[in-house]
Amino acid sequence: MTDKIDIKNVAKLAALKLTTEEENKLEKDLSMIIDHFAALSEMNLPDEKISIHPLGTPLDLADDEAIIFLSHEEALSNAPESSDGQFVVPPSLD
Amino acid sequence: MKIVPTIGMETHVELKTNSKMFCRCNVVETDKPNENLCPTCLGLPGSLPVPNKRAIEFITLLALSTKCQITTDGMFHRKNYFYPDLPKNYQISQFDLPVGTEGSLEIVVNGEFSTVEIERVHMEEDTGKSTHIGSGRIDSATSTHLDFNRAGIPLVEVVTKPLIKSSKEAVSYIEELRQLVIDLDISEGKLEKGNLRFDANISVAYENDDELGTKVEIKNMNSLRSLEKAIEYEISRQTKMLNNNETIIQETRHWDEKKEVTSSMRSKEGSADYRYFSDPDIPNMILSKDFIDKIKNNMPVLPSEKRNTFINSGLSIEDANSIGKSPKWMGELYKSVSDITNDSKTTFNWITGELQGQLRKLGETSPPEWMTAEQLAEIISLVKNDKISFTSGKEILAELIEEKINPEEYAISNKLIQENDTEEISKMVKEIIKENSEVLERIANGEEKLIGFLVGQVIKLSNGKVNPSVAKELLLKEIK
Repeated sequence: MTDKIDIKNVAKLAALKLTTEEENKLEKDLSMIIDHFAALSEMNLPDEKISIHPLGTPLDLADDEAIIFLSHEEALSNAPESSDGQFVVPPSLD
Repeated sequence: MKIVPTIGMETHVELKTNSKMFCRCNVVETDKPNENLCPTCLGLPGSLPVPNKRAIEFITLLALSTKCQITTDGMFHRKNYFYPDLPKNYQISQFDLPVGTEGSLEIVVNGEFSTVEIERVHMEEDTGKSTHIGSGRIDSATSTHLDFNRAGIPLVEVVTKPLIKSSKEAVSYIEELRQLVIDLDISEGKLEKGNLRFDANISVAYENDDELGTKVEIKNMNSLRSLEKAIEYEISRQTKMLNNNETIIQETRHWDEKKEVTSSMRSKEGSADYRYFSDPDIPNMILSKDFIDKIKNNMPVLPSEKRNTFINSGLSIEDANSIGKSPKWMGELYKSVSDITNDSKTTFNWITGELQGQLRKLGETSPPEWMTAEQLAEIISLVKNDKISFTSGKEILAELIEEKINPEEYAISNKLIQENDTEEISKMVKEIIKENSEVLERIANGEEKLIGFLVGQVIKLSNGKVNPSVAKELLLKEIK
């Protein structure tokens, strides 16, 4: 069994408002998921580096040459709200 | 028991590339918001980030020049957070495999060498700019306006170990780092433009404690002056709390430039809160030996090497450090002039004091193109050999800034050459003494200041040609 999940903190980080009922349900669900992953640590794995990119694709670096991709109008065209050439979103803190 | 502070610095350096870190959007200064955007820096689905080769070269150069170990098999991570200044909802950064680790930087504090230990040097991307509309304050705004021109510009974060002991040491470290990125030509290094942005982690503890105190992060220091003041303030705040047995909370505090205090912003996130995970869009970054060697072989002269050259020329550590951090022309001119004069301190004083002062008054940032090291050396030698007075030297320098002249010819034609012939001066001294018997009496009665008046009279009599120190010497001899 892993440490108890601080569901209030998880909800805060995800910017979710949860009812007490939802908190209880999600806390149980998340604990199950974490316990499932905890099983991995019990496996006897070779002492090798973890493989994040299984294909081992080499990284291509791009030349530092600037190009114009989107016009100002195109960039803002799908924004639900814009003003003075800027994207408008709800206040960052509430 | 004595309470001691411990400081760690986190500095973001904006790199001088043509395009952004993970897309090829332009990096140019513009007043127009949202001009340099593409699907990648806007975080649109299906876009793929590709790292900028020059930025990787730049960070490798910085890591090598701070004596870091280079991670040849590194990778990028996603740092997740819920804030709209990056439209992806995460920042591409580096976590456990940064480009450089375990480095150091030599600095000068109060005229003495010191070393700052570097913990890591990692690559990441800048955020966009948010403007909070309504009250002007972030916590009571009605909406937020976003300009993503800056989003995705390459940033290097340099993190020191928490071993810095004073605000002065922190300031010297930033000055050294700033000079380094300028000399490496990887950043503009302008604090006022935000090319270099720093946060300080500060804690205090009793001197014999094994563990460090609770860390408080200070943000929003926009100048070296505010960095020094904010650190001083925070050390004193935490020291008072420790003395009163109050609990210091781990938090991020904001430096208020006007009130000169720090105030709480938010409780500090731990790295778990950022849910770092490797970015599956970017393969591992393998830096080959060839790639690293090529950068090593093209390393420019570092500020510490430049400083050593100045020290070897005869300057003190403090002066060598100061001229190394001045505009490039000053160091170069100093080297050429001191090679001729063989007098490091006098040359240093003329260039950093008189020449720079006169140029500043005229609103100039560098000397005129016709000014040569030989001309400046000639002025310095004329003064040093008592051929002209210091005031005449300054006058000739001012003339040289105005137009191309030969200093010695100018001194002769403007009758600035001093009379050093003691016989001639003695005659004049005797004459002045004869004319000023009243003054002599007053000097005898203790008004010694009047000797200066008599020296002035001798200079006047000679039409300004007499060397004042010689005149004074002879005058004193006569009086006694």
